[in-house]
Amino acid sequence: MNQPSDFLIIAAVLISIGIYGIVVKRNALRLIISIELIANAVNLVIVAFSRMLPNPQGQVFVLFSIAISAAEVAVGLGIMIIAYRFYKDIDVTEYKNLKN
Amino acid sequence: MVDIFSTPSLVTIVLGTVALLIPVIDALNKEKSSKNKVYSGIAFGSLVLALVIVIARIVSGETLPALSLSSDGVITDDVFGGFFSIAFLIVSIMVTVSSWSYMKNKSNHAAYYSLILLSSIGMILIGYSTDFVMLLVSWELMSIPTYALAAFSKKDPISNESAVKYFLFGALSTSIIILAMGIVYGLTGTTNIYDSIVALSELKTELIPFGLLAVGLFVAGFGFKMGLVPFHMWLPDTYSGAPTTVGTLLAAGTKKAGFAAAIRVIVIGLIALNVQWAFVLAIIAIFTMTIGNLGALTQRSVPRILAYSSVAQAGYILIGLAVAPFAAQGIDASLFHVMNHAVMKSGAFIAAAAVIVVISGYTLDKYKGLGYRMPITAIVMTISLLALAGIPPLNGFWSKLLLFGSAIDSGQLIWWGPYLAIAGILNSALSLGYYALIIRKMYLDEGENRVRQKEPKSLVAVLIFALGFMVIFGIWYGPILDFASMASPGDLTQLVPVR
Repeated sequence: MNQPSDFLIIAAVLISIGIYGIVVKRNALRLIISIELIANAVNLVIVAFSRMLPNPQGQVFVLFSIAISAAEVAVGLGIMIIAYRFYKDIDVTEYKNLKN
Repeated sequence: MVDIFSTPSLVTIVLGTVALLIPVIDALNKEKSSKNKVYSGIAFGSLVLALVIVIARIVSGETLPALSLSSDGVITDDVFGGFFSIAFLIVSIMVTVSSWSYMKNKSNHAAYYSLILLSSIGMILIGYSTDFVMLLVSWELMSIPTYALAAFSKKDPISNESAVKYFLFGALSTSIIILAMGIVYGLTGTTNIYDSIVALSELKTELIPFGLLAVGLFVAGFGFKMGLVPFHMWLPDTYSGAPTTVGTLLAAGTKKAGFAAAIRVIVIGLIALNVQWAFVLAIIAIFTMTIGNLGALTQRSVPRILAYSSVAQAGYILIGLAVAPFAAQGIDASLFHVMNHAVMKSGAFIAAAAVIVVISGYTLDKYKGLGYRMPITAIVMTISLLALAGIPPLNGFWSKLLLFGSAIDSGQLIWWGPYLAIAGILNSALSLGYYALIIRKMYLDEGENRVRQKEPKSLVAVLIFALGFMVIFGIWYGPILDFASMASPGDLTQLVPVR
């Protein structure tokens, strides 16, 4: 369990779970968690490549990526809190005001 | 090495200082009265200063020519970035000035202008990035403020709904972009764009499918922001649901930043990998144009029609990118249309914002008789729509002519080039269907009354600027065309090794 390919397989599994969550789930928080799962699986891919090459640039890249996705999720959760105030629910199928 | 006196550093310092200063001034301000005009003025001043810096650096010739690729540092200071910076700064200035009236009765002005400035910095840095890490950071610096801006009307469920959709798709697209960058890094061992593209062109044959997968993921990731079909589902909802000035920033600003990134990464990456795959870009271009125009035909709300029309316009710009490896003028034409579309679309969106401010309506029925009630807004809306459709004396005609011309030129090398031009011309005719409908409602249909409404001064100033740009640079199209060909790398096959 220490080969680069193992990390890539785990990352592929995590990405698949994330895509499944985006396609099937309709709760906004679950969607955010699925997207975070994909983002972190991608970070794992880059770290695995960085170890495989070996080349430290990838690890720096991942540090930037983690910091950015934290900022992104903070804004996203803020938007969801306002959405909860309107609908008392965060089911995305409720959001139909824009469909003419 | 990042030089402190290069254009991107200077612009970042100017805009960043002001963006951070505005909330500080607001926090120190003891009075409860609204300072909308003060903040709008400060933001406008800094954007104009940034525009002057960019133009002065280009005119003085201190920037590198055209699109420069180097393995040195994370940002470059070239005319290509300068061209996009000028387009973004013009859009930001138009948005800031029109917000003077649009934001008058709303709250949190300091945060609003600060976020617009931060987003502008992100867009500008995308044009100058030469490293994947820098590209990612500036991409997110552009995106995150716009998520907050889309949700800016806190009391309005529609604004919130548009932000939810925008955020979910935007966050997903960011992950896709990082995955694409990760695959390229894994294949080549570097995050520098030029070095990795040189390494891609020497890739072992069995690894080429992975390189093409990375380019495909880049198309998907950047395509979300550019609004390419099939990644456009969020776009009409967000552009029409967000506050209309923010919609302007999204339609005319962030969409173009996607094209800046696409030219820097996708087009050049395809040349290094396998140039025949540009065919896929051509297919996406045809679908984007057609679905955008067909979607617009059935809408009843004017911001939604404009949003669908901006999907279609992204398809026209993509024609230039698809034929770029085969026609010398492909990228020139795309850049020319980027600049023209930035002003045309801002003009149309801000005219819609003026209608919302004055008669608080956005459906087609409210536009009846607008020619009598709001004459300046109506005439600018008309000219913008005609320019978007590509009617001859206006600027949109020349850039579309160059786009379709370059598609026909590419027919010497590839069989599908001329079909792109045919699809583009047919779509222009189709788009006239809904543009003419809006114009007919404004001038020929009888409205509620013919009383002339007072149009806010700042909106009129922006609208007249847009009108002047469209008419003057329509008759005298030389300067912008020359600037576009100066910024364009010309023959892309000279830039990177071709497989």
